[in-house]
Amino acid sequence: MDNLKKYNEIMMESFQVNEEQLKGLEYQSVQEWDSVGHMTMIAMLEEAFDIIMDTDDIIDFSSYEKGIEILKKYNIGSLCYDG
Amino acid sequence: MFLNIDKQKSNSVALVDSEGNRITYGKLAELLDVVGGQARPHSLVFSLCKNNVGSMVGYLGFVEHGAVPVTLSAGIDDKLLSTLLEIYTPAYIWTPVEEEHRFKFKKVFEIYGYALLKTENELYPMNENLQLCMTTSGTTGSPKLVRYKKGNLEANAKNVADAFGWTENERAICDLGMQYTMGLNVINTHLYVGATALLTTHNLLSREFWDYIKKERGTNFTGVPFSYDILCRLHFEQMDLPDLRTFSQGGGKLTEKRFMQLAEYAQKTGRRFIASFGTTETSARITCLPPELAMTKIGSIGRAIPEGELFLVDENGKELTDTVAEGELCYKGPNVTMGYAVCKKDLMKGDEFNGEYHTGDLARRDVDGCYYITGRLSRFLKLLSYRVSLDQTERLIQQEFNIECACSGTDQRMNIYITDESKKTQVLKFISAKTGIFRNLFKVFVVQEILRNESGKIRYKKMDAEYAGKGASDEHIIS
Repeated sequence: MDNLKKYNEIMMESFQVNEEQLKGLEYQSVQEWDSVGHMTMIAMLEEAFDIIMDTDDIIDFSSYEKGIEILKKYNIGSLCYDG
Repeated sequence: MFLNIDKQKSNSVALVDSEGNRITYGKLAELLDVVGGQARPHSLVFSLCKNNVGSMVGYLGFVEHGAVPVTLSAGIDDKLLSTLLEIYTPAYIWTPVEEEHRFKFKKVFEIYGYALLKTENELYPMNENLQLCMTTSGTTGSPKLVRYKKGNLEANAKNVADAFGWTENERAICDLGMQYTMGLNVINTHLYVGATALLTTHNLLSREFWDYIKKERGTNFTGVPFSYDILCRLHFEQMDLPDLRTFSQGGGKLTEKRFMQLAEYAQKTGRRFIASFGTTETSARITCLPPELAMTKIGSIGRAIPEGELFLVDENGKELTDTVAEGELCYKGPNVTMGYAVCKKDLMKGDEFNGEYHTGDLARRDVDGCYYITGRLSRFLKLLSYRVSLDQTERLIQQEFNIECACSGTDQRMNIYITDESKKTQVLKFISAKTGIFRNLFKVFVVQEILRNESGKIRYKKMDAEYAGKGASDEHIIS
């Protein structure tokens, strides 16, 4: 599975949204993306991509787009997103 | 003055908030009179709390001037708020100005982003010792209040400050909501010793929170178990927090693994880890574990705070006098509140607890007089007439498999929720063997997530409704 797809699925599953809602999705913009949801999502990403994220990255992970930018630092390929 | 606020150095900073306000003790003492004088004594004030200066000067001022605040979250849902308004008919509302639109009452005063609204409700008599009311649990939607009497908050502030060794040099990180007993206690204990309370409405997962506590050089932090789940996820042991000297836990039991992790971190970095235990009915903390025992008394809530006394009773209410014993945890002390209210008339009632509170928690006392919470009286099932503690079962599974787990159910069947599918069969085998109870009386559900409320407590009812509801057959796995 390509990485963007994997990422999208984790976001959709964590926050109970569909693919159309991902663009522009932000922390606390939906009920499910609260601190509990955030932790679940980070845990799933760390497991799926086999990474351990830095504190700053976990904190700065404030939107769907920001997440893509952050994950690129961990050398996760094919996360290109053209809007 | 309440909490001796006027006795502190008048140029020391008492309150800082994440909206940029800084208030000295001198200024705070003045504000208490200005704000408190706006509400009539012996009137009920619904205080919609946020951890900021506006919210604090309201609470402190009303208490100082004999009005009775009911502390509620500024984020309280409309339904619960209207129920409470209907039941208790407060004379005033103290609300952040941005929440003012929720009410149609007349504004009579405004300061630091807070407004005092006067309702049309008539004053009614309340017990003269009543000082403050608090909900028992913010998210259950229950209109039940705990009635604090004069002296409760100050006694607890004094004795907890003493037990924790707070001095005026502390700069406490106050992110737990002041509408709840623990959050308010953290603030009160620091005001009592002339220290600085760093109030914040930012949460642990926000950049603003960390910038704020670094900039303000926070020296101690108090968290509920969920706070520590977040901190550990954030790898806080690698964070650069040069000013942080003490971190403390309350508001629920940490797993042994987490407790040990925190105790070890404290030891390695020369900090203090202080576990504690408290209830709303006792104006917050009743015990704490001295930090030097954290490594040897894993999972313990420690001993009673000064001026308090802990004891255990059996099912018949008889005190257990053996040194090592297990029974219901009970407490006597000056911070025990008066009782509950479920209607307006109850606010007239006198002291029903009489300085003694039975917590409903089961605890064990060890040979050194340290206490350990082992379960809750009401969280029991009777499976085939065997009493099985849901909390204990939960902990057994968590510890054996190192997985997240929640247990609930009825006397016909225990529901065990786990998130790790690979452990499903083993969990069932393990718990059946451990309790000696037939495995068909347990049902293991593999779920996506253990549902929690905002303070991190597990939402058992919601989980039962969502996952174990009607027609959940043995083959039915929710994943």
